This record gives sequence, C-alpha cells and structure tokens, in this order.
Amino acid sequence: MLARRDEIIVGIVILCFGVLLLTVLIPNYVEVPRRVRLLALAPYFWPNIIGALLVLCGGLLAVRAYFTPPTPPEQTESLAISQPEALRLAGTLLLLVATLFALPRLGMVWTTMITFVAMVLLTGGKRLVWAIVVAVLLPLVLYIFFYKIAGVAIPQGRFVRLP
Amino acid sequence: MSFFDAFVQGFALVAQWESLAFLALGIAIGVVAGAIPGMSATMAVALTLPFTFAMQPITGILLLLGVYKGGIFGGSIPAILIKTPGTPASSATALDGYPMAEQGKAGKALSMALYASCIADFVSNLALILVAGWLAAFALNFGPPEFFTLIVFSLTIIAGVSGDSLLKGAVAALFGLLLATVGMDFIGGTNRFTFGSPDMMAGLNFIAVLIGLFALPEIFSHIRNPKEREGNVRKLGDSHLTREEFRGSLKSILRGSAIGVFMGSIPGIGAAPSAFLSYSEARRASPNRENFGKGEIEGVAAAEAGNNGVAGATLIPLLSLGIPGDVITAIIIGAFMIHGLTPGPLLFTNHADLVYALFIGLIASSVLLLFIGWFAVRGFRYVADIPSNLLFPSVLVLCIFGVFAINNSIFDVGVMLVMGLLGYAMLLLKFPAAPFLIAFILGPLLEDKFRQSMLMSRGELDIFVRGPITIIFWCLTVISVVLIVRSTMAAARIRRQQRRTSMPPRTGTNG
Repeated sequence: MLARRDEIIVGIVILCFGVLLLTVLIPNYVEVPRRVRLLALAPYFWPNIIGALLVLCGGLLAVRAYFTPPTPPEQTESLAISQPEALRLAGTLLLLVATLFALPRLGMVWTTMITFVAMVLLTGGKRLVWAIVVAVLLPLVLYIFFYKIAGVAIPQGRFVRLP
Repeated sequence: MSFFDAFVQGFALVAQWESLAFLALGIAIGVVAGAIPGMSATMAVALTLPFTFAMQPITGILLLLGVYKGGIFGGSIPAILIKTPGTPASSATALDGYPMAEQGKAGKALSMALYASCIADFVSNLALILVAGWLAAFALNFGPPEFFTLIVFSLTIIAGVSGDSLLKGAVAALFGLLLATVGMDFIGGTNRFTFGSPDMMAGLNFIAVLIGLFALPEIFSHIRNPKEREGNVRKLGDSHLTREEFRGSLKSILRGSAIGVFMGSIPGIGAAPSAFLSYSEARRASPNRENFGKGEIEGVAAAEAGNNGVAGATLIPLLSLGIPGDVITAIIIGAFMIHGLTPGPLLFTNHADLVYALFIGLIASSVLLLFIGWFAVRGFRYVADIPSNLLFPSVLVLCIFGVFAINNSIFDVGVMLVMGLLGYAMLLLKFPAAPFLIAFILGPLLEDKFRQSMLMSRGELDIFVRGPITIIFWCLTVISVVLIVRSTMAAARIRRQQRRTSMPPRTGTNG
C-alpha cells in the first residue's frame, strides 16, 4: 500500500490528466468530420466520456486517500529510490533509447548483442564470459528463425550484413 | 456443417504430427518457463506469441495453449522446491508443498501436484467442451446493445478484482480504453491522437502493448534491484505416491476442479483466488485439517486442482463470447487475430472444425502434461540455476525480435519500450495491468457496439435497457460493483481494527 500523501498525488495527477485530455488533447488532436449525423457517432464522443470518467476517478482517488487514516509505516511501500537504483534505471533508459536508434543503423543482431552485454554490465557484470556467449548466440538463433524460417526482414544495418 | 463433420475435420487437424508436436513443445516451454523463478506463464505466452506468425492457425494456437497449461503447472515446481512460486496462483501450493519438501517429501508433493493438475485440467477442458458451444449458440441472439452491456459487465469485474482497489482498476481500464482510441476512426475516417504520425494511424499494435506491459516491468524490477536467488533447491526424495494418499486427496481434487471451473468461467477472477478457495475448502472439509500448513499432501492437491481447474474454463468466455477472461487468454486472442480469426459465437459457425480441433487438442494436452511434467520435475535443478542476470537480457532480446516480427516495424519496438515504462510505473503505483490490457483489447469492440446501438435507436439511450438480456447484465454490473465495494470496505475495516489493536495504549499527559 502506498503512503497517503502519494495516493493523494496520484489521484490529483489522474484528475489533471483528465482535464488536460478534455481541454487540450481532444480539441486539438481529434479530427472532426464536416458532418456528424449523431453526437454519439462523433469521433470525440467516446474520448470525452473517458476523460470525464478519468476526472471523476482521479478526484475520488484523491478524496478517498485524504479521508483514509494514514497507513502505518511498516505497511507502507515507499516510492523513494536510492541513488544506485536511480542510476541503474537511468542507464537502462538510455540504453533502451540508444538500442531503438541503433536498430536500423547497426542492424538488429549486432544491436541486441551489445544491448545484452551492456545490460549484464549494468547489473554488476557477473558471469561475463557466459553473458558474451549467450549475447552472441541468442540473437543469431533468433535471426535464423525469423529471417530464414519465418521470412521476416530483420534489419541488417549499414555496416556488416549477415547472409 | 453438422456436429459430426466438424468433429471429424477437427480430429483430422489435430491428428497431424505437427499439431501434437507443437502442443507438446508448448507444454514443455510452459513448464520450463513457469519453473524459472522470475518468469511467469503470462510472460512465456507473450514471448511465444510472435513465433506463431509463420505457423498454421491450429498449430500456433495449440502451441500457445500448451505454454499456458504447462506454465500454470510449472509454477508449482519452484513453489514446492524453493518456496518461490512461479505464478501467483502457486502461492497456495507452497503452503503445504514447501513444508513437505523440508521433510524430504518433495517428490511426493510434486507427484501429487502433477496428478491433481492433470485431473483438474481434464475436468476444466470437459467443462469448456460442454458449455462453450451452448453459450455460443445462446450468444448468437445477442445484438450490439447486449454485447455492449456484456463488455461493460466484464470490464467492471476485471477492474474490481484485479488489484487492491476498484478505483485503481477502473483508472487502468480507462487508460486502456483511451489507448484503444488512438488511430483512424472507422466511421468518420478521421484521425484520433495520431499526432501527425502515419505509424499511429492504424492504432497501436496490440502485441507490442502486451509484451511491453507484461515482460519489460520484470526487467526494470530486476535492474533496479538485481538479486541472486536465495535458498537451496530441496532434494526430491521418494516420489512414489501410494494409492491411499491419492484416494485421500481425490475428493479435494474434484472439489478444487469444480471451484476452478466455476471461477475460471467468470471473466477476471483468475487462478489465484480459485487456488486459495480450493485450499481453504479442503482444509475445512478434511479430517486432517490440523496438518494443513505443516506439510499435508491433500493441501497440495487442493491448491493445484483449484489452480489448474481454471485453465480450460477461462477459454469459455473467450471462445463463446469473444471476451478474454484473464491476461493469458487476452494474449491468446492475439493468436486468433494474427490468423484472421475472431473468437466469439460466429467462430463456432464459421470455423467449427478449428474449434473442435482445439477441444481435442486440449484434451490431449492434459495427457501430454502428465508425461512432460514428470520429466520437468526431475530436471528442475538445471532450470532453477539459470542466473537472472542472463535471463532478463535474454527476455529483452526475445521481446525486441518478437515485436519487430509482427509488422516489420521498429515503431512497434518503440511502442513496446514506452509500454514497458508505463507498466513499470503502474507496478510501482499499484495499478493493475490486467484491466488496462483487456480494456485496450475490448475498447474498439465496446465503442463499435455502442455506435451500432446508437445507429439502431437513432440516438436513443434507452436501447440499452430495452431487452431482458441487457437488463440482466446491468443488474449483474451493479451487483458486482456493490460486492466489490463492500469487500473493499470490509477489508479496510479489518485493517483499521488491526491497527487499533497493534497500537500501544495512550497514556494521559495529565495523569
């Protein structure tokens, strides 16, 4: 269970998202055809219902958390994150973004090999020799299955192309 | 096509070596994945899904069903041997399974878990065969308003029982519905929330969303806190089960199977509540009730029967109504969609041979599970030793290849990564992922049925309360909301009382 303060914040964030949806996202990013036969058939009708319900649920979450007695600390799950944990998660995020950009350039096989080893290093780098063996074999096996058997055009990249 | 023709054609589909081989392979993958601490049956089914693209519909779907069945049983192996349940539902198995393993009777516990799983699975498959066709025939009478109210009812239950709070489940479902609106609106032909990206015009890919939501959060959790598995694998010991031990547990197995069938056929309930209910009913009725929790073999049998009894029954709403009952069946719906099949009443009319082939394959899976499970129990030591710092990067590589293979799209890989972050945030903030995914799948259908109803009634909302079926579904929705709110309030009351009793008495400052 989260702390009462965190639950209130979560409720308020959902409420604000609902308001943002109703006031900014739907008016600007839902295109409306020139003629709408029925209001219920309009493309904005359903998103509006969802937005209104999000506002309601977010408000109820915040109000419920406000009126609920605080949870004892031993039963509360903290959202606090230590510095090494934050660094590892931030490193993973960067790694995943880099992977996404490298896929069409380096090719899927080479990119995933590097990502594999980088991820093992991020979590302490134990069994590095095994990690390198698996990092090389697994993408190659998957490449053979998807490219040769299933006929999927796995991105090859601009540098080293596989047969 | 008559029943006999459909049955014969279905048998011919299953009787090919590929069908049986892929079913067996699926069970083996599922058992191994379920047995690996940190993996789950859901993750295994999600990761296997992309490999079914290149297969025939029947072999692909049987492979996934095999992974599902094997995964549910596989979860019991680490629950018994290292007290680390592979699936949430296996937690009930650990209650008596691990004490048995401590007493040197792990082999007996695993044998009982295997027999109970196979029997419950068989009973559940029979229930599916008997009920699904009848329900599908009944559902042929459903029009758009009936389907709309049925989906509202299903989403309400799934939102209510998937997490700790109905409100959080509802918010998760609303986000799933919102995400389902992304793409081109099929009535007006206009774009919704595409932000000018042509990749988003066809909507977000369902498989990218589900793999991101269910596989990646586990990877983030591992990276945040990379722990090695603790504790030793217990020795198997004697695994021979006597006739008396089996007979003594048979009643609990059959009762657990019935509980599993009942709870599995209601969308959203899932295996964990069924396993715990079966376990508590067995403890209430057993002459050995004082041994429960200390290593009672009947406890293992009851928990596993309740757990596996849902496996066939969750397919009842999927096949007959097109409503996925839980996350795994929501993933299996993807396999149908990949091959251009739509689960629901019309599946029984248009693809009766495939439906009967699935039924026959499911019965065969109960028998195959018995053999594959026997070997898996003995080979667990090798599976348990897979280090998590090699396992999770492997899962990520599988996710990237699998998601790309759906549409040859790197955009889908990006969607998966974003969904992984969203799934991890939901995990931290205690929002259940199941209502999100199921609402995302059912969202287009819900909106479609709503609009069809509005067209039929020319905008009059009373179409949703005109027929008896819609009124029944509204009543069921209201009843389920009332029951969920009442149980939440009762749990909060108990927590408050516990807090009061655990607080030290106040001492007066004036005294």
